[in-house]
Amino acid sequence: MTSYFIRRLLLIIPTFLGVTIIAFGITRFLPGGPVEREIMRMRMATASEGVGGGGAGSVLDPTSEMTEAAKKEIEKAFGFDKPIHVAYWDWLKRVCVLDFGTSYNFQEPVWNMIIDRFHISLIFGSLGFLGAYLVSIPLGIFKALRHGSYFDFGSSAIVFIGYSIPGWALGVLLLTFLATDRFADILPLGDIKTGSYQNLPQIIKDIEQDNVIYDDTGTLIWEKMSFTSKLIDRIYHMILPVFCYMMGSFASLTILTKNSLMENLGQDYVRTAFAKGLAPRRVIFVHTLRNSLIPLATGLGHALGYIMAGSYLIEMVFNIDGIGYLGFTSILQRDYTVVMGILSLNVMLTLFGNIFSDILYAVIDPRIRFE
Amino acid sequence: MATAETSIQEPDYVNSPPTLQVRDLVVSFKVENDFPRAVDGISFDLYPNEVLGIVGESGSGKSVTSLAIMRLIPDPPGKIAEGSIKLRGQELLDISYEEMRDVRGNEIAMIFQEPMTALNPVFTVGMQVMETIRTHENVSKDEARKRAIEMLTRVGIPDAAKRLKEYPHQFSGGMRQRAMIAMALVCHPKILIADEPTTALDVTTQAQILDLMLELKQKEEGASIILITHDLAVVAETCHRVVVMYGGKVQEVATVEKLFARPLHPYTKGLLASLPSTHEKKDRLYTIPGNVPSILQMPEGCRFCTRCSEVIDRCHTEEPKLHDIGNGRKVRCHLLEEGING
Repeated sequence: MTSYFIRRLLLIIPTFLGVTIIAFGITRFLPGGPVEREIMRMRMATASEGVGGGGAGSVLDPTSEMTEAAKKEIEKAFGFDKPIHVAYWDWLKRVCVLDFGTSYNFQEPVWNMIIDRFHISLIFGSLGFLGAYLVSIPLGIFKALRHGSYFDFGSSAIVFIGYSIPGWALGVLLLTFLATDRFADILPLGDIKTGSYQNLPQIIKDIEQDNVIYDDTGTLIWEKMSFTSKLIDRIYHMILPVFCYMMGSFASLTILTKNSLMENLGQDYVRTAFAKGLAPRRVIFVHTLRNSLIPLATGLGHALGYIMAGSYLIEMVFNIDGIGYLGFTSILQRDYTVVMGILSLNVMLTLFGNIFSDILYAVIDPRIRFE
Repeated sequence: MATAETSIQEPDYVNSPPTLQVRDLVVSFKVENDFPRAVDGISFDLYPNEVLGIVGESGSGKSVTSLAIMRLIPDPPGKIAEGSIKLRGQELLDISYEEMRDVRGNEIAMIFQEPMTALNPVFTVGMQVMETIRTHENVSKDEARKRAIEMLTRVGIPDAAKRLKEYPHQFSGGMRQRAMIAMALVCHPKILIADEPTTALDVTTQAQILDLMLELKQKEEGASIILITHDLAVVAETCHRVVVMYGGKVQEVATVEKLFARPLHPYTKGLLASLPSTHEKKDRLYTIPGNVPSILQMPEGCRFCTRCSEVIDRCHTEEPKLHDIGNGRKVRCHLLEEGING
């Protein structure tokens, strides 16, 4: 067993290399990369300054292509001057000491950018995941025990609707109806906290009635607010996005719980348990549930990778400045150092998550022994 | 032919009242808008110290009968529609669910065909045996563990104190069935229902398990066994009396000696003829032609008329009665009245 997990841990290395080599190759050969964007930017600048502008346009002959020397200069600045294998090797060496380079766009170390946003995605993702488990498991159990009832059919309808609507689309819908005056303007449009005093929910204004918690421009001074107000404001901003995260896995988790429980209720060992004279509650919640939750518990291991990867569209919709949002904008802007940084992080989380899943499997199901 | 040399406790049909009385039991299963009867009006008695065999092919209603006695028929779709099941005079169909739970595993215990799947894979064998004790008796965990180890040792599991902590998948098929027996007998039930307990085991293990069951029964004053099987060879070795079932009805009841010496019902004859014989060498064993009809397509008249080798016209139209021909022997066949077989 130990040797199995050591082997699994060692396998992370080639997998990581494989994924990053492919991604690195793509960043090199995809058109519209940072070098081309920079050239384009400079050309636009020159064009708008006019031919007579002089100075800045010196590297560029306005009537023809950019000079080779200038192009080399730009390539060098982005590290594109070296052959791909050398560049990759350089990148890998730096990654080993957690140096992911500097963002092209923000001129900030990628590592710091990730650290700043990681906890935001983690909180939203894990709350959504936890919520989905807390709702889906009891609902799935109830549906299995009431299989074929009106409640079962009714909740199945909701489950299938939930399954058909992606989280981000639901987000747009909910924002339209609950955060604008189209129906009820009761929840914020996005972000993770309120910016100006004017937009604060009434309840916080009531708590903070005598405190001056804003400056001359009406901008909130977060530090001056009480803990309760901060907490309420955070929760106020979390309701819709966390709900959307939940919907993403709610449907499949519910059906998985239901099917797994129903399958197990038909097993011989359940009949044995009843024949022993056990109470139905004990048969269902001890004997059957323990077996039914095996497939669900192992899903927890994949949660980490899922929380990161599954979030970018929801973070976009709700304007949450997390890892997903950062990754998405970096791809659009060809900010490859950031893309590679986030990719490396996701690969590691997913791979470790898989191993964690296997460990959970072995812990929960005594029949599983990895060789 | 119950192992005469070991049997100190033989059933007494005259002086002791039956432990279990089943009367006119009907179990139906809802299929669309119909309620076909898987068990249709069966009656039998089980006496103290007796080993009663219930024999029949798959689909004859024997397992449903045993589940009905335990009130374990899945409802819906199944339902005990009519009849009476009395345990020492107490009507089991009238008592509350909680009272029935006290009966299960405590007064009537059951072991099943598949020891591979009948134990819960995620709990240790010890936990599952201890659970039975602690469900029915108010004992401490340590006391329950002691009893479980004792019981596992009695059923022939070596090093029981250690194996108590193992999971079912770490046991072989025979060992699992031993553990099932330990679990069933740990509360000293008066009746053990064994539903094809040896079918899934290899031949040498089969004999061991049967011997073990009989041996444990002998040690328990007044305990009896209902052995459900399709294997008449097993019946010959273990049972006192046999109930032959077909199509959800009792076709013949007899002591093992009489049944094997002179079977009266054509179905029983067919079953006996399909046993391998040590006297004559046959290339192929006899088989009863056809299959047990599904409960949705039971023929009119005698249920066995579609496959009977001695069928007469009357069989297709008129249901034969269960004739009591004395000495506790009963046969459901028209031929008895026609005098051909009497």
